[in-house]
Amino acid sequence: MLLDVRGETCPYPMQKTMDALDRLPAGEELEVLVDHPPAVETIKWLAARRGFAVDVEPIGTSEWRLRLRRKEGVVAR
Amino acid sequence: MAKPIVAFAQPAFRAHPQTLAGLLVLAATATVILIVSRRDAEFGIFAALGLGFGAALQRSRFCFNAAFRDLWQFRSGRTMKGVIVGMSVVTAGFGIHMYTLLPNPSLGVVAPEAHATPLSLALIVGGLLFGIGMVVAGGCVSGSIYRMGEGYVASWVSFAGIMGGLLLAAHTWNWWWEHFIRDAPVVWFPRYLGYGGAVALTLAGLLGAYLLVLWIESRGGPDIREAAQPGPVETFGARVRALVHAAVGRGWPAAVGGIVVGLLNIFSYDVHMPWRVVGEVSRWATGLGGLVGVAPGPLLGTEELAACTLAVGGGLLTHGLLLNIGLFGGSFLAALLAHEFKVRVPRNPVRYLQSLAGGVAMGYGAAISLGCTVGAFFSAIPSLALNGWVFALALAGGSFLGLQVIRRIP
Repeated sequence: MLLDVRGETCPYPMQKTMDALDRLPAGEELEVLVDHPPAVETIKWLAARRGFAVDVEPIGTSEWRLRLRRKEGVVAR
Repeated sequence: MAKPIVAFAQPAFRAHPQTLAGLLVLAATATVILIVSRRDAEFGIFAALGLGFGAALQRSRFCFNAAFRDLWQFRSGRTMKGVIVGMSVVTAGFGIHMYTLLPNPSLGVVAPEAHATPLSLALIVGGLLFGIGMVVAGGCVSGSIYRMGEGYVASWVSFAGIMGGLLLAAHTWNWWWEHFIRDAPVVWFPRYLGYGGAVALTLAGLLGAYLLVLWIESRGGPDIREAAQPGPVETFGARVRALVHAAVGRGWPAAVGGIVVGLLNIFSYDVHMPWRVVGEVSRWATGLGGLVGVAPGPLLGTEELAACTLAVGGGLLTHGLLLNIGLFGGSFLAALLAHEFKVRVPRNPVRYLQSLAGGVAMGYGAAISLGCTVGAFFSAIPSLALNGWVFALALAGGSFLGLQVIRRIP
């Protein structure tokens, strides 16, 4: 699943990511494109709370691709 | 887990274009500070303080809006804990400074420039409006200014809305003054408790607020932290690069931001006045209003009030102007050095409307409550005055209402 929240500021990147995680089918990975620096830290922390591992990859000036996937043993809601 | 690329681990050093631009801006601002210092040393100090505020807010993402909103939305108190730590530092510093200004606080007067203001319905209505506005707009007044420096186009729209709200409030100010503010009491704790008691009471209140934040967080799920990864920072050069990266590359922890912003606030009061933002913005708004023929009439009672009162006229170069321009410039500078500057254009046109409407609500609210999240909150609670706490509660309520609004705007 791909979620592009570039151009959005707080709290939309976090809220849309959390909503997408709730809908994410089992076994799938969520890819988030974001250009709001505070959101990178907050999404990492909020996703960890829900049992997701997050990889952060810079893809340009102040732009990141986040890959979120469920840690082992965490089941889809 | 694949590790993100970290700058200090790269063997070859190649300057990023934003680093070079940042160094140029740094040289330019240093020149401006030297020039204004030749006119008056205090001008140089306030220009430097403004830059410091802007850089510290940008680095630590010190967003008062997120501090309140995240408590409701994500049961996260990371920013609010930084704000509380910062205010505790300011409380001690202001307490000592006010003692030197007014050794006997029991005489019925308030220490000069302290942000002790009347407890009226206007303060509560203003705080609610401000809280709703900052959540809908996505940033408070200081937040919008530092975001403008980071390249957020919507924040420029918010700022226009704030000026509009301040001008609107200037036309209705006398009604608020006559009906609510004029006869309302000012509760300044040192008058009743002395400085020691007032500082102790305020610190106890801040500790209570911190515990409340921990309780809110405990109801939101476990706090998961990744273990610190030991990096290959062994050589002297690598250690220096890691230090530079921590200062200008990575974001600072919220508590570090709170302490730095707090120390700058103490220094600001030591030289002249606590950190303020919105009174100066109102001077620009009424000035621009005058150019298009909608200047407000005489504003009653503003000379009797402390903190951020609506203002008309005055000289071009003031401490407040330097603080606000510096706030913008410091954030621009810090964003460049961190490679975080980017012109960000919202794709959803509704965001512009949100920024404008939220800005108007903030401007109006700040005018009748005599300050924004800075003047009526971050500088008011450490002024040992009850109005800071009342405004904080109104902000919390307003941010809850604002969250209900934006949940309905996809």
